[in-house]
Amino acid sequence: MKKTKSWAIGLIIFSTLLNTFAQTMYKFGANQLSFNLNSIITNLPLILGFITYGISAILMIAAFRGGELSVLYPIFATAYIWVTIVSNIFFNETVNIYKWLAIISIVLGVTLIGIGSNGAMKYKEAI
Amino acid sequence: MTTSIYSVIGVFIATIFGAIGALFLKLGADRLKFNFWKIIKNKYLVTGIISYILSTLIFVPSLKYGDLSILYPLVSTSYIWVILLSVHFLKEKMNKYKLIGICLIIIGVIFMGLGN
Repeated sequence: MKKTKSWAIGLIIFSTLLNTFAQTMYKFGANQLSFNLNSIITNLPLILGFITYGISAILMIAAFRGGELSVLYPIFATAYIWVTIVSNIFFNETVNIYKWLAIISIVLGVTLIGIGSNGAMKYKEAI
Repeated sequence: MTTSIYSVIGVFIATIFGAIGALFLKLGADRLKFNFWKIIKNKYLVTGIISYILSTLIFVPSLKYGDLSILYPLVSTSYIWVILLSVHFLKEKMNKYKLIGICLIIIGVIFMGLGN
């Protein structure tokens, strides 16, 4: 029986995407922020970000039920990839060589952890 | 931008609270009952949420006043803490794939810091 289920991994990835969306909303909202209650309540991006953040947290907790923390938690690192893409599209931030290397490294890392979440056991037992 | 020592301390503390929060959220999630009162009384879940919120509250301002090339590597240590906590408290198994994977992620986050 797989220790970490695929649905849990998928849910964490989705939760990470929502998290990135929430962060982007915060960034948009921060531009219109002033410190009085009325402006905060009517700050649509901020409210949307807050709600999305809450949903992503609930999904994360649900996902934790489906697998090991040491496998699911590192998947949050993919947020850096989504943030890089979003920053490039919406905020015109450049993707330099370091960011590319970072993306490649994180993707490889998450893939290996995925393999190590249960596949590795089978290979080891086979030997 | 120069990195204030408070930023470094802040990120360090936030990272630890974040990892501890994740651990408690996992413990709480495993014991989750789909009943409103049971959820509120789920001590692990509540502790995890508080820890997580605390971590974010310290984290966000700390990141603003520091160089990401220094702060992101600190953030990447959260993956180390979570591995240690998972192995010790959750009895999760380690293997070379997970280990190399974590190293690659840490390297990746450090690169991300350098790229910012």
